[in-house]
Amino acid sequence: MLTDKELDNFIICKKCNTLHKKIPLHQGGKALCSKCNTFIYKRDNNMLEKSLALVVTALISLSVAFTFTIITININGLSKSLSLLSLFDVLLEHHQYIVGIMFLFLTVLFPFMMLSSMFFVLFFIKIEKYGYAIKRLLILLSHIQHWNMLDIFFISLLVAMVKLFDYAKIEFGVSFLALLLTLILELMVTKNINFDTLWQKYNNIYGEDNDR
Amino acid sequence: MIDDSRFIRCHTCEAVNYDNIEEELLCRRCKCQIHQPLYISYHKTWAYLITAIILYIPANLYPILITKKFGIEKASTILGGIIHLWEAGSYPIALIILVASVFVPLLKFIFILYLLISTKYNLHSSKVDKHKLFYITEAIGPWSMIDVFVVIILSVLIHFSGVQIFPGVGATAFALMVFFTMLSALSFDTKLIKKEDI
Repeated sequence: MLTDKELDNFIICKKCNTLHKKIPLHQGGKALCSKCNTFIYKRDNNMLEKSLALVVTALISLSVAFTFTIITININGLSKSLSLLSLFDVLLEHHQYIVGIMFLFLTVLFPFMMLSSMFFVLFFIKIEKYGYAIKRLLILLSHIQHWNMLDIFFISLLVAMVKLFDYAKIEFGVSFLALLLTLILELMVTKNINFDTLWQKYNNIYGEDNDR
Repeated sequence: MIDDSRFIRCHTCEAVNYDNIEEELLCRRCKCQIHQPLYISYHKTWAYLITAIILYIPANLYPILITKKFGIEKASTILGGIIHLWEAGSYPIALIILVASVFVPLLKFIFILYLLISTKYNLHSSKVDKHKLFYITEAIGPWSMIDVFVVIILSVLIHFSGVQIFPGVGATAFALMVFFTMLSALSFDTKLIKKEDI
């Protein structure tokens, strides 16, 4: 039997389930799966600081995206604008409660929870405090990651816009850009952040008493 | 050389763990459950999958979008909407919607069914391929929500006194269908691929 420390030297590819032994990389180097060429991990000494900066920016632009108008359409002088508030107004008016609740969770709450818990995890690891919260948040993060559908909402927005293109004049609001920015930042964060490293850092700080 | 099959990856924290086939297993690092007793995961996946397949029927038969023009209501289903878009000449969008809301759910049903049946009856196919198939199933899952979101966005924007668009029963059924297929994919245990018989 190998000890936990030795087991930490192994990693399993998430796509094809092949076991690999980790090898030391130079700064910025990437490790790919030997069988299916999927990206597995990379070495980045500034991962924590970089991710923290990206997450803070993403949180700010997300709150902007949720506050202001996303797009405004104009059909023969009649105009209507889409913002988060008007969206729930209309859904309630049409009594679409199930769809409304799903929408609320998938595109508002989960993206927000994901980014804010990432922020707290990175921040707490940085200041090396609140070990229990780090663990809870890391577990929460891995569960809600599948359910974040902000990117799909954006694609749907584009599809809806193309549908309306023939009848209406479309003006972009502030939130449209903010939404785009959030998505790009989110992509960068997910590329940059490495949960395996975060868990190892957590273990290094609270290695002995993590059975709580 | 270390034997691959003795190790398992924790879904929550990605740690490599020693595997034990029979019992439920807790991750050494995050203390989360890596897998339940296998038969529970197997039946759970079936249950969610069947729910999703049942919901797929109303999602396609009932209108997903209702247009109200000066008091006259016109309902359109998913397929009707796609045909309408195709006839109107917006081929790319028709294709996007066709792929996202017809092909993706069907593909997911077929993939999960294949995974369940092949692991149960021990069909001779590559395990690596099954792992890849499962990975794809997880990745394409949420994309079927596009149609529901488009309907929601349209219903907000086209909301005048004369002309209104609003979501129909089909939208709710469709959203629930996507939800249950995602649950089904998430409850499928990759250990089932590894273990030959249940």
